[in-house]
Amino acid sequence: MRVLVITLSIILTIISLIFSILPFGYIALIPIIAAFVSGLIAFKLLQKEGKSTTIIKVLFAIITISLGLAIYNALKPNEIEVDQETIELQKQSDEETLEELEDIEIDG
Amino acid sequence: MSRILLIITVLFSFAVKGQNNTIAAGEKLTFTASYNMSGLMTDLAQVTMETNEVKTSKATLLRLRCKAQTYSKWDNFFKINDIYETYVNPTNLIPYLHKREINEGGYYKKMQYNFDRGLNKVKSVKTKRRKDGTFWSENKNLTIGSKTNDIVTTIYYIRNLDIHKAAIGSSDNFTILFDNEETSMKITLLSKETISTNIGKKECYKLSISLNNNDILSGENNNLLWLTADANKIPVYAKFKVPVGNGELKIQSATGLKH
Repeated sequence: MRVLVITLSIILTIISLIFSILPFGYIALIPIIAAFVSGLIAFKLLQKEGKSTTIIKVLFAIITISLGLAIYNALKPNEIEVDQETIELQKQSDEETLEELEDIEIDG
Repeated sequence: MSRILLIITVLFSFAVKGQNNTIAAGEKLTFTASYNMSGLMTDLAQVTMETNEVKTSKATLLRLRCKAQTYSKWDNFFKINDIYETYVNPTNLIPYLHKREINEGGYYKKMQYNFDRGLNKVKSVKTKRRKDGTFWSENKNLTIGSKTNDIVTTIYYIRNLDIHKAAIGSSDNFTILFDNEETSMKITLLSKETISTNIGKKECYKLSISLNNNDILSGENNNLLWLTADANKIPVYAKFKVPVGNGELKIQSATGLKH
């Protein structure tokens, strides 16, 4: 039981870290909460059996970092990257379109 | 005499219906597109709808441009940069040229339609990029229905409809030329409701959109559009369901409105 809960905590902590690095926003909170709960259970089990809790403390540290990253990503404003190349291509495309439209005569 | 009067009335009513009373050059609408991931809406992209006046030596046209671009935080994982644009007659929104350029995570496709309204013909050019970076094109001459439009024109055309005259539950059908195929779309006026948006509390027309012979938008009443119930008829909110999930479109700002 103890080994199973510790293994689960490690897996969930890794998932938390991956999700918090990716721009998933608040979705990353799902594995973070699950990792925290399983970590807490593992911590209590280890404490009850008088075993070392160092590994769980390391996991809690990673979970805290993940939480910080997830909140940072979620609160980061939505921005669009407009690079010079895209602007130039758009300008070129508009000029080509204008040439194509030259023959058009509209009615009304 | 009464017959002449009837003909004049019919002609006049069509002329009124065809007139653009809603869209002006210089209008810019900005939206946030979100996708449902594990029950939580995640902001993915910015969508803009912009209109500009374009002058040639013979005519003045209205450019209707819709852009979808992923937020920079997504660009390293899946970058989208799509542009849909149509050049229309500013007085009646009749399209002359439509361009659709898709750039989605390395996938590139360009469609161009040159409309010949007199003959109901479309010269279509499809361009795609091969894996080695080279391009190939396919030219086609299509015959379309007299009321068939491209997707951009249809969106703006819906905004130009006299929705205030329509009864709740009434519907209208439109034909869209998409990927060289004519697709029938049905718009139903479901109700009138007031919703909170980023540009204030707005009384809106709630419309349902369904495609008859296409599975891009799935289900009846799963794809909804809220247009403000005023002279501008701004699309302020939309909910959509596609085969791989669902999402929404929320207005962020609206500038350069006609009314």
